[in-house]
Amino acid sequence: MSASGWLRLPAPLTRMGPGPRRLAALLSPGAGVAAVQVAGKKDRPALLPLDEGALEEQFVKGHGPGGQATNKTSNCVVLKHVPSGLVVKCHQTRSVDQNRKLARKILQEKVDIFYNGEDSLAHREKREAEKKKQERKKRAKETLEKKKRLKELWASSTHAHGETPGGSE
Amino acid sequence: MERWGGMLRVLLSVPGWRGGTGGWAFSSWRHHLPPAGLSATELVNKWTAVFEKEGIPEARESSEYIVAHVLGAKTFQSLRPALWRQPLTPAQLQCIRELSGRRLQRMPVQYVLGEWDFQGLSLKMAPPVFIPRPETEELVEWVLEEVAPGPCVAEAQGGPLILEVGCGSGAISLSLLSRLPQSRAVAVDKGAAAVCLTRENAQRLRLQDRIHIVPLDVTSEGSWAHLLPWGPLDLIVSNPPYVFRQDMEQLAPEIRSYEDPAALDGGEKGMDIIERILALAPRLLKDSGSIFLEVDPRHPELVGGWLQSRPDLSLQLVAVRRDFCGRPRFLHVRRSGAPDGCPVDVQPGPPPARAPG
Repeated sequence: MSASGWLRLPAPLTRMGPGPRRLAALLSPGAGVAAVQVAGKKDRPALLPLDEGALEEQFVKGHGPGGQATNKTSNCVVLKHVPSGLVVKCHQTRSVDQNRKLARKILQEKVDIFYNGEDSLAHREKREAEKKKQERKKRAKETLEKKKRLKELWASSTHAHGETPGGSE
Repeated sequence: MERWGGMLRVLLSVPGWRGGTGGWAFSSWRHHLPPAGLSATELVNKWTAVFEKEGIPEARESSEYIVAHVLGAKTFQSLRPALWRQPLTPAQLQCIRELSGRRLQRMPVQYVLGEWDFQGLSLKMAPPVFIPRPETEELVEWVLEEVAPGPCVAEAQGGPLILEVGCGSGAISLSLLSRLPQSRAVAVDKGAAAVCLTRENAQRLRLQDRIHIVPLDVTSEGSWAHLLPWGPLDLIVSNPPYVFRQDMEQLAPEIRSYEDPAALDGGEKGMDIIERILALAPRLLKDSGSIFLEVDPRHPELVGGWLQSRPDLSLQLVAVRRDFCGRPRFLHVRRSGAPDGCPVDVQPGPPPARAPG
């Protein structure tokens, strides 16, 4: 495997429909399939690690024996998910090791979105966050209105207190 | 407003500048003094071209690290995107010029910046102390895998107790200490600068209470005796000098001119310090204690053969692990039982069986 080559595989898997359970049923070992959502703690879906066999990684491999004999600072990692063709380039840190881990995490999320679209973890979390935000707004509005009504009631009862009971209509 | 004022001051300070756009040929002015209007991206491109012209390896990477560093980031990609296009101040430009000047002298980037990261820790770097290599991060990962999980008697006693031979900047010891909260370390190096730098890095990371840093040459006679007071060790870890003597000449100028050759030269077969560590290990390690080494890809075979020729050491080559480039790079050697002719392990245990009377 040359430092600049990519391993070529047959045509990538076609885009799958929504539904994590359906995807789980379609999953078969060794097919290099997409990341699948599984039930994590508290029914919160989590992402399965990508199948390493479906990945092609590229980082600068020092010429010669490596190790002490070289001092390379090119720690950029380029990671490709072959079935989908998605590529991530990560140079967030000065550590090859950490860049490899980060690249996998980013690629994992991208693959999820690619295959699961609206059902992907990222999109679901976004919708949930939006939903919570709307709920908070709504509650805040209701509380405000309640206070307003109470205030009005108080104001009107104080006013009425000053008049004779059974006052004019 | 301030930015434009700064730019004007820079322009006016150039000798021969007559003001206005017509007074100075724009291209030659740019050549002598970079205008303050250049952005980070433009600067990286400019210095990449300069480095390439001068035959500096990793021209783009070097340029990116320098510019990112001056802008307060570890890598160019991790910079806030807004900063990529903003013009830099004259002070920043000057700083970049100084650092780039050092890189033009083939100084390793890590020395140019005066710092580098290892296992997520930021460490000070200073010549001639050996710069941690990326492969060595995997050595630490392996040690953590082997040590951390499962019931650990050592942990209950406030361990593991780790010896690092040839600590350099302290990378291995300090990263292990930070990931194993109960561990303690003894780190030795024969270089005074290394001892000093490891101490400084330990203090920067507030780990100084858990590490003893000792100037020591393990190859000198009787040096190991100085280590006995710390008690039997759980682990010995090392990235010892392992370059073959004949390969020392082929090292890149960055390494040859700036790093301590004693941190690299392992003798004729690169085995000198490796053999010394393995020979000392049985006297220092607890029973079933481990040694983790980074080595040259030719060493696993050589070490295997050497251990077979030394049954007196009671050491076993347990595993060989490859680095991210697929080269056999790391060794796990374990001590099994007391070596012949050496005092019995000091750990409390069941009394030895009585000989038939």
